[in-house]
Amino acid sequence: MSDDPLTSSTFAERSRVQLAKPFLRQAVARATDTAVHDLRVRFAGHDYDGLRELGREIRADTMADLDGFLVKLTDAFAANGVQVHYAADAAEARAHILRICREADATRVVKVKSMATEEIDLNPALVADGLEVTETDLGEYVVQLDGDRPSHIIAPIIHKTRGEVRDSLSRVAGRELPDDASELTGFARERLRDAFMQADVGISGANFAIAETGTVVLVTNEGNGRMCTSMPRVHIALMGIERVIPTLEDLSVMLPLITGAGTGQLITSYVSMLSGPRGEGEPDGPEAMHVVLLDNGRRALLGTEYQEVLHCIRCGACQNVCPVYRQVGGHAYGWVYGGPIGAVLTPLFRGTVDGGELPQASSLCGACDDICPVKIPLHDLLLQLRRTRVNDGAAPWRERLAAELWAWAWSSPWRYRLVTRLGGGAMRVMAAAGLMSSLGPLGRWARGRTLPLPARRPFHTRGERDV
Amino acid sequence: MSDRTQLWRMAPTELAPHEDALTRFQAELELVGGTSVCVGAGELVGEITATLAAVGAHRVGLTADLGDARPVIAQALEIARYDVVDYDAVAGDRSAVRDLDATVTGCLAAVAATGSIVTGATAAGRGGALVAPTHICVVETRRLVDGLASLMRLAPRLGAGSMMAIQTGPSRTADIEKTLIIGVHGPKRVHVVLLDGVLAD
Repeated sequence: MSDDPLTSSTFAERSRVQLAKPFLRQAVARATDTAVHDLRVRFAGHDYDGLRELGREIRADTMADLDGFLVKLTDAFAANGVQVHYAADAAEARAHILRICREADATRVVKVKSMATEEIDLNPALVADGLEVTETDLGEYVVQLDGDRPSHIIAPIIHKTRGEVRDSLSRVAGRELPDDASELTGFARERLRDAFMQADVGISGANFAIAETGTVVLVTNEGNGRMCTSMPRVHIALMGIERVIPTLEDLSVMLPLITGAGTGQLITSYVSMLSGPRGEGEPDGPEAMHVVLLDNGRRALLGTEYQEVLHCIRCGACQNVCPVYRQVGGHAYGWVYGGPIGAVLTPLFRGTVDGGELPQASSLCGACDDICPVKIPLHDLLLQLRRTRVNDGAAPWRERLAAELWAWAWSSPWRYRLVTRLGGGAMRVMAAAGLMSSLGPLGRWARGRTLPLPARRPFHTRGERDV
Repeated sequence: MSDRTQLWRMAPTELAPHEDALTRFQAELELVGGTSVCVGAGELVGEITATLAAVGAHRVGLTADLGDARPVIAQALEIARYDVVDYDAVAGDRSAVRDLDATVTGCLAAVAATGSIVTGATAAGRGGALVAPTHICVVETRRLVDGLASLMRLAPRLGAGSMMAIQTGPSRTADIEKTLIIGVHGPKRVHVVLLDGVLAD
């Protein structure tokens, strides 16, 4: 990866850049509040928690025998005439997709928004191979025009103003487009329609894949998912191996969960269930359908304390409610997945050396646990990752020293008393001298607030006197 | 496994017992920006022509799932000077597909709780209900199912072919500053004609 913010900068550095953009915080808050509000409205009078529990059970049962379900899925795909390819890592997945494109003599590719293709950094590889790639989700199209990265799982340009979108699209148009979301969308529609009609290959992800029937399920609102899988000669779906669900009926639980948690909709405008290439007597559709099954670190999580992260259905709800994400946005996380799920996935997929600091970017408030449609205990997983980081010795020395001093002071009554006395006294002196803002990280917090001073007499000594 | 027979208590994508399917279907579709009307067999052709006239469509594609009604509708539209094509005859020609102002399709099923219509690759094709700015869908009321769970149970017997699509209202996006825009890559207008009768096949 040529430009990799995760290795070239720290979370704090990236956050500072993002925090300097007032629009970002305002936009993220508005967008995410709308999604959460709509979820409450559309699910009012229903036992959403019960539905989440059903979703959790389906995901847990699937992961308990993931290989078994993958065998069923692969067999069902084969029976439907779908060609299945297995990719152990990102490089293998890219190689499969490039080979399929070459064998199809393709020159133009259209894409449906897919986190998996972001994860394997597919577009640069396609372009380097001489292919013309067009992202067809409106947000992703703008991201591509700007050489940017998506900043939210389902709302990729949540960080951009209408003015910025207008500038990008105006460059393509070669004229100044009006500052109106409807007009801008209309322009993109016409432009992308050409791309759909001329494309040789359509590449999608998969929201779910049904083992029982060999079906890839795409959940979209714009209709580009249907276009990309209807018009081009070849359809390639790249899916993480954990996207599998056992049966068609499971979809009646998983669909309202993903759309409810994702956008607050009962159902999105389009749910496409694709079970193979164009069949006998069908008027349109691709001549060939390929599915690339992507492992890339997933199977290694089976049987570990992190297995439940494989339950994730990529709805973005945890991002919407996360007080950290809502301030810093998705780019601060440095890789493709932002928010609480990103803080868990990134160190697991990219390693604790590069991604290890991300689990610190959480207040552990648990809002993500409460909204997750499949009840992933994100809060516990974040804590576990923090623990692993310390045990691996990957935590910075200051952090380790502070923790050791804290453990030393708190593990005997006299040390505790000594430290609280000294600390309380020191803080009062510093407050009197107006030095609270020089207290390191605590000082930064104290700059905008009045730090409450410790009581003159500690609570435990007061207790002693009364007894 | 938890009991899924009570799914309607948990998921708004199911109907409550005794809830009227037709009423719910129309209400849900309206909520997402689609329109619908109930007609008898004798009013079907008139409703379709009136809708096409209202949106100013000229070139209209008809899909095979209209069954025996397709030639009847085609004839009426030709008399009214529309340029009418069979979708399956032009589906291979991308520029002809692109030129369509409207398509008229049937459907395999419709989902009451969500206001959705269900089309399949075999009859409407993958693009029949998708490519034109206006989509008119004829739904025989006997095809209404309660919710997603009933649809999934029925799905293997629908004969959808290589693609089954659940479509709910017009195409939409909120990518630009969360402003809801209707009509991106799929249709801007979705009009469902609920037919109290059969198209015959």
